[in-house]
Amino acid sequence: MLRRSLLILPALLVAAAAQAAPSVGQPAPDFTLKDASGKAVKLSDFRGKLVVLEWTNPGCPYVRKHYDSGNMAATQQDAAAKGAVWLSINSTEKASSDYLEPAKLVAWQKERKVQPTATLMDEEGSAGKAYGARTTPHMYIVDPQGRLAYAGGIDSVPSANPADIPGAVNYVKQAVGEAAAGKPVSQATTRPYGCSIKYKS
Amino acid sequence: MTFLRLLAACTALAFLPWSALAQGTSSVKTDYVRAELLAHAPEGVQPGKPLWVGLQITHQPEWHTYWKNSGDSGLPTELTWTLPAGLVAGDIAWPVPKKIPIGNLANYGYEDTVLLPVPLTVTPAFQPSPLAGDVQIKLRANWLVCKKECIPEQGEFALKLPVRGTTALHAQAFEDAFARQPKPVMSQKTGIVPESTARVDEGALAVTVQGLPVALRGKTLEFFPETGEVIDNGARWTQAWNGAAWTARIPLSAQRSASPDVMPVVLASAGEGWRTELRVLGAWPPVAAAPAAVSPALEQALRENAASPSLPASSSIGLLAALLGALVGGLILNLMPCVFPVLAIKVVGFTRHADDRRGHRIGGLAYTAGVVVSFAALGGLMLALRAAGEQLGWGFQLQSPAVVASLAALFTLIALNFAGVFEFRSLLPSSVATLEAKHPVLNSFLTGVLAVAVASPCTAPFMGASLGLAISLPAWEALAIFIVLGLGMALPYLLASWVPAIAKRLPRPGPWMETFRRLMAFPMFATVAWLVWVLGQQSGIDGAGALLALLVALSMVVWALTLRGRTRVAIAALALAGFAALAWTAGGAITRSLPAQTLAAAEGRWQPWAPGRVDELLAAGQPVFVDFTAAWCVTCQYNKKTTLADREVLADFDAGRYALLRADWTRRDPAITAALAQLGRNGVPVYVVYRPGRPPVVLSEILGVQEVRAALAPPPL
Repeated sequence: MLRRSLLILPALLVAAAAQAAPSVGQPAPDFTLKDASGKAVKLSDFRGKLVVLEWTNPGCPYVRKHYDSGNMAATQQDAAAKGAVWLSINSTEKASSDYLEPAKLVAWQKERKVQPTATLMDEEGSAGKAYGARTTPHMYIVDPQGRLAYAGGIDSVPSANPADIPGAVNYVKQAVGEAAAGKPVSQATTRPYGCSIKYKS
Repeated sequence: MTFLRLLAACTALAFLPWSALAQGTSSVKTDYVRAELLAHAPEGVQPGKPLWVGLQITHQPEWHTYWKNSGDSGLPTELTWTLPAGLVAGDIAWPVPKKIPIGNLANYGYEDTVLLPVPLTVTPAFQPSPLAGDVQIKLRANWLVCKKECIPEQGEFALKLPVRGTTALHAQAFEDAFARQPKPVMSQKTGIVPESTARVDEGALAVTVQGLPVALRGKTLEFFPETGEVIDNGARWTQAWNGAAWTARIPLSAQRSASPDVMPVVLASAGEGWRTELRVLGAWPPVAAAPAAVSPALEQALRENAASPSLPASSSIGLLAALLGALVGGLILNLMPCVFPVLAIKVVGFTRHADDRRGHRIGGLAYTAGVVVSFAALGGLMLALRAAGEQLGWGFQLQSPAVVASLAALFTLIALNFAGVFEFRSLLPSSVATLEAKHPVLNSFLTGVLAVAVASPCTAPFMGASLGLAISLPAWEALAIFIVLGLGMALPYLLASWVPAIAKRLPRPGPWMETFRRLMAFPMFATVAWLVWVLGQQSGIDGAGALLALLVALSMVVWALTLRGRTRVAIAALALAGFAALAWTAGGAITRSLPAQTLAAAEGRWQPWAPGRVDELLAAGQPVFVDFTAAWCVTCQYNKKTTLADREVLADFDAGRYALLRADWTRRDPAITAALAQLGRNGVPVYVVYRPGRPPVVLSEILGVQEVRAALAPPPL
């Protein structure tokens, strides 16, 4: 048993690079990203709390749909009221025309009343790829034990039209409410919709 | 004159586009696409005759719109018709798409020019006015056009469709669009072709498509699923032809949100496509809703509790106190039946060279070094394994039946040696034996290592929880505790070797030494008996029986090697053969684990622990008492037979309606290791009292009746 354990050590280092995206119920991959002020923030810093991960890109009309209409702010404030941490992550590569400098991104969010616990820059795309994030917005929720509790879209109507928001089911609000109350998340995976994330190739 | 005519013409011209706008033009141009509404009625607008309308999109180079299933991102083009009464629009007849990869994501869509045709059905309700020459078809279309950025666009279109006469201006475009339609595969209804299926198989879809044209056999096909959110669109997949059937293995998405029973798919080669509906076999793995999460408040309380444990050797008292505890623990180790014989024999060895004080001193230091280094190595190994993610707690060595069996073999050998069945000198070649004599320092060092090896099974039973706590401290503090533990263990021998008075107190060498040595064999045999019992708990009576048989065979082998001459060769060969045969046949029983039910069987009041069970019971309002235990943990067994069997304690359990859960850690169980880690513990025993709405209370290792009763007492209001 010990021998096997020792052999695993080098393999783990290699495997860490080539891991498939987690499914709901599996441990959420840890990451270390810099926030807008350059401070390193780790997902594991928030162990013991509910964490909402929001992949964002102000250049995407679908992100603007939720931000400009106030829906993202309402969702984020609702989550904060329930004790959840909100991390906005931007995995857009620096070379993309959509890339926004960290300070500008934070200002853009603040203008729209969205106040995440931290706005993290993932220009290398490692965190996004670790989670299998493919669209903006793409939402994940990590439970206090560090397991993935929700992965998918922000709501149920995939469109760029803000008029569709009131009639749609806000999956993130629903999941945060259920997780905070200790209940299992009823719709744990849904279809994420939006623009594709501009990963570094 | 000319000027007036020009003015009139300009005015007329000026008005035209406005009126067209008021009704919607049949074509919309944006920066990225030119979209046009077209109609096709080659045989006039009559019931039963083909009637098509469609949106033709001409993209700018490198821009694309999306197919029915857009893939990893994007949105399909949406058409909303406003038709005269009696005309009914069908679904878009999507042409075969193109796969558009972006990094390790992929979308499905169209570039260049595509026409999305929609069939119109003329129902009896269609009664155009006899005076009207045409009817108006209106369309509102939404599409998402992307290159790198994405721009959602919308267009309002209007078209006048003549009801008399034919409309075939764009016949070519429509014919091309029909040619790009996927054709149905040879249908099962003809009776010969088996159905096409998709089997859910361990994170992938095993697809088999039947009825494809013969001309396609051997060719590489493209695969387009019409149902989104099932497969991983960007992943590599494999395909192969199996005679007439095309097969493929396509990975599923890790965050799949659709679980269809039937999956329509399109297969394509060189722009031509074939469509079939796959029947899904096998069950979709449940999209696990995360198990009932511990509410953040409770989780916070758990963390606070873990930070201030109530164990005597707790880190809240301070590192110094923990080190003192480790020193005392090490001293006590010498009294364990595992270690005592080894120590005693070594000390008695002083009588042989009573005057060689310098030799004794060096020997003592070497032994101490051996012990300390081994303990540090053991601690370091555990820390490294934990850092690598292995779910280990202290006592991990006893959770593996193979390790338990090996330890039992080791102890048997040592016991046989003490009993005089064999001497190391007679077994080892003379060169090694003289090595032993020439390097007494090395000999002492190795004795120290051996002492730690034999001590380890005894640490877990008596010091499991305390050492487990040590592992959860920062690495340097944990190592310091292990080193001090080693010092404590080596201390008696070190004192004996340095203080001449002790050596002088020992009686003169004599035959009593032999008797003493033989006597020491029995504690070792007793340890073997205990290890066999532990194995029995892990692998059942068959495992324990197999181990005993192997130990008997091992003893015979060892004895046979002490013989001389031809008898030695003969009997040793026989013994070895017997041992090998036994190991081959019965060895498996040792490592075979008992079915989980046997281990987790409810014993009277006690139910087996399961992950999430505590939360369930708390949510139902019932308080819970959890006993984390293991068969090889002597403290656990002691508590079980004394405090936990005490009448008053049991009465308190009943009065409080406590649910009693037992978490058995005899064999490795990552769920239990994780639960222990959540409580800030790493070894057993651990006793926890859970009450709804309050943080859990962890009780001490050696459970006292008063302590338990105090913890169970209802809190003051």
